[in-house]
Amino acid sequence: MRRRIVVTGVGCVTPIGNEVGTFSDNLLAGRSGIGHLTVFDASRFPVRIAAEVRDWHLQDVGEDPLRWRHCPRQTRFAVGAALQAAQQAEIRDARINPLRMGVYLGCGEPFEEFDAFTSSVCSSLGEAGYQEERFLSCALRLFDPETEREFEPDMPGIHLASILNAQGPNANCIAACASSTQAIGEAARIVRRGEADVMICGGAHSTIHPFGVTGFHRLAALSSNSDPATAARPFDIDRDGFVIGEGAAIFILEELEHARRRGAEILAEVSGYGSSQDAFRVTDVHPQGRGTVAAIERALADARLNPEDIDYINAHGTGTVLNDKVETLALKRVFGSHAYRVPVSSTKSMLGHATTACGAIELAVCLTALRRDAIPPTVNHEKPDPDCDLDYVPRYARELRCTHILSDNIGFGGQNAALVVSRFDEPSRSIAASKQAA
Amino acid sequence: MKCWSDERRVVVTGLGVVCPLGLTLDDLWRSLTQPLHTLSQSVANGAIAGFQGRIDDFGPLTPVARKSLRKALKLMNRATQLGVAAAQRALADSALSSNWYEPHRVGVSFGAGNVSVMPEDFVAGIHACLDEQDQFDFARWGTDGIPKVAPLWMLRCLPNMPACHLSIINDFRGPNNTITQRGAAANLAIAEAFHLICDGDADAMITGACGTALEPFNLLHGRMDNELGEKTGSSSEPCRPFDLRRTGPPPAEAAGALVLEELCSATERGATIYGEIRAAASSCVPARDSFGACQKAMQNALRLTLGQTRIAPENIGHVHAHGLGTRQSDIAEAQAIRRIFGRQADRLPVVAAKGHMGNASAGSGAIEIAGSLLALRRGSLFPVRNYEQPDPDCPVLPVTGDDVAAGTSFLNLNMTAGGVATCLAIEAWAA
Repeated sequence: MRRRIVVTGVGCVTPIGNEVGTFSDNLLAGRSGIGHLTVFDASRFPVRIAAEVRDWHLQDVGEDPLRWRHCPRQTRFAVGAALQAAQQAEIRDARINPLRMGVYLGCGEPFEEFDAFTSSVCSSLGEAGYQEERFLSCALRLFDPETEREFEPDMPGIHLASILNAQGPNANCIAACASSTQAIGEAARIVRRGEADVMICGGAHSTIHPFGVTGFHRLAALSSNSDPATAARPFDIDRDGFVIGEGAAIFILEELEHARRRGAEILAEVSGYGSSQDAFRVTDVHPQGRGTVAAIERALADARLNPEDIDYINAHGTGTVLNDKVETLALKRVFGSHAYRVPVSSTKSMLGHATTACGAIELAVCLTALRRDAIPPTVNHEKPDPDCDLDYVPRYARELRCTHILSDNIGFGGQNAALVVSRFDEPSRSIAASKQAA
Repeated sequence: MKCWSDERRVVVTGLGVVCPLGLTLDDLWRSLTQPLHTLSQSVANGAIAGFQGRIDDFGPLTPVARKSLRKALKLMNRATQLGVAAAQRALADSALSSNWYEPHRVGVSFGAGNVSVMPEDFVAGIHACLDEQDQFDFARWGTDGIPKVAPLWMLRCLPNMPACHLSIINDFRGPNNTITQRGAAANLAIAEAFHLICDGDADAMITGACGTALEPFNLLHGRMDNELGEKTGSSSEPCRPFDLRRTGPPPAEAAGALVLEELCSATERGATIYGEIRAAASSCVPARDSFGACQKAMQNALRLTLGQTRIAPENIGHVHAHGLGTRQSDIAEAQAIRRIFGRQADRLPVVAAKGHMGNASAGSGAIEIAGSLLALRRGSLFPVRNYEQPDPDCPVLPVTGDDVAAGTSFLNLNMTAGGVATCLAIEAWAA
């Protein structure tokens, strides 16, 4: 029999809440976490707003900040979210075989310290232009070795393995903005095939950094609207790009019987996952969204559900002109006439775009919707766009009891991933499954 | 052959390498087996002298792939170019025609390491922000510096670019992922590809890994580790796996790729089969500065992999060790192999290609697998380069001659400094 995967713990550190309760309250109240950028002095940058994690400290989860002082922001977020999730799932007290518990994250790469970088580049410039050896000898003085070690892409996962004693499989994946969605999906597959019983998974990232703003601004991906209240407006006709965000969400996934045996509270079931490639261009999404269509169809097939079974869709919805148009098209291709009936919202309107971590944070959004019987709005959705003609749950949250929720993400390079998360033990699910089997 | 079983088996049908030991499988084998004094200079410094990132470095290409690749070249950093080149060479080696599988049944699962920011990409921007004393003025970066950065700069830095470019060049629309576990990434990526085919999510996967320790921040990290006392090697000293005089691996760059296919469709199209993926497992025992943790992680990975294969331990032909050539890693690894294989370790041949080419992060693992697959086909192993003075704390049997049988199966073991150990079991294919 196919092993079923359930969520027994969730934790998050986000611009709208540093634990799940506040996060859920603000999400359903339509409160945005976007404000003026304060992580560095951006006063003379072309973009001066961001969705930042504020007023959060490692002490909030009982950690000594000194222990984590060499870690980049995102690793600290990951640690915070993981400790919350572990506490909810009570995995530290449970006698879980450490070899049967693994970690799978979709954390993006942190950016190097900008001052040390620019100073090293300056001192590398000689008569003949850039000279690597001069760069290296200066960098060796200016960069901190302990900090640099924490920049290796496998470090966040290793830290989580260390603090939660997870000695099973351990991986980090990067698939641009689909990274953490894929990490959760692959973690579910690892449990499904029996390689582990428990997986700690999700993602963390922060691109609120001079390198991040530089890169996204040069890609013309960021909104040029300087008003924090109105800049992020997915699916609205006046949208002009996304707002940089940051944060983490970490989940404890567990095989159903394992969770039952130890009496863990089951929050939801991860019922389907799919990933795909547009195979079109690294710079643009496929104009008909063929990769997004494939990822969603794979996730539905994996969940053994029909499109009509989905009650709510948490869209990638970055708020760039092209993404929202193509994503809408892709949803219509998968869902047909049901696309006009199923509510779709983009919570990036409040959370900004946490890049590789967005999929994990959006899965936390889906859990809120399932647990609170309400779906979050797309704030700032005021003027409809004829190319985006679905029900985007404008401005206000809506009461809705969902059984199955889809979350999809689309990343640079043509990456696509989708997850289906379901209310646990909903009778209609078994009916759908038996229909499928028949 | 007819396939009667429901079980989907996964075989390797193509191999490609781009590494200091060569750009073809024949060159790789020659470098692995030839005497030390005949090696070219490029092997010694870890760079691939023959790879300039020109279109001809990517091996035989179809006209469509050539056109697509030509457009994409300027968007690729060095590691991406190496990864794409290795994969295109593996595809050419597999003789897989582009219409054999539906595009959505072919996926990519690739391994990568840390991508270095390239200082040169920022020289123009920083130059525009210098004050009278030639000091960088951050206040001017937003207005004067940013516009000087190439618009697509960020796309060159993403570690998932090899997987993306490969999909675009070859129209592979199946599952797609990139694992960034550095030295352990190749085994993890291949394991994920293996399971996707087993589970029926894909019929073929392009997998492998690319990496470099030669770009500025990779070099910086290597030098920092040396200063912290964890010898990770320098360009002047060769890597000496399991040798008492070891000083760490010199930095290198490399990529290796495998084409994996479901057995029935591979045999139906008459593919050449290098071997069958039998099992994969991994474990993380956070290992900072700890022999014990490293050893335990590797033991876990070895034991779990052996438990999944239906190969008896006494039938394992050889182990391709991580063989990093550092005191901590070598002793932990040798002790782990000894613990798992017991007295069989006295006659179990161990090879380690890092002795030949140094450490290319994620790329090394893929080259090591390719080397062992070639050894399975040829029947004999290659010696561990620079292994001359056995370390009594390393109770394993590194291969020293060229007449040691490769056996019919091998385990490839890899490890990261942080404590992630991964193991892959591959068995020779007997048609």
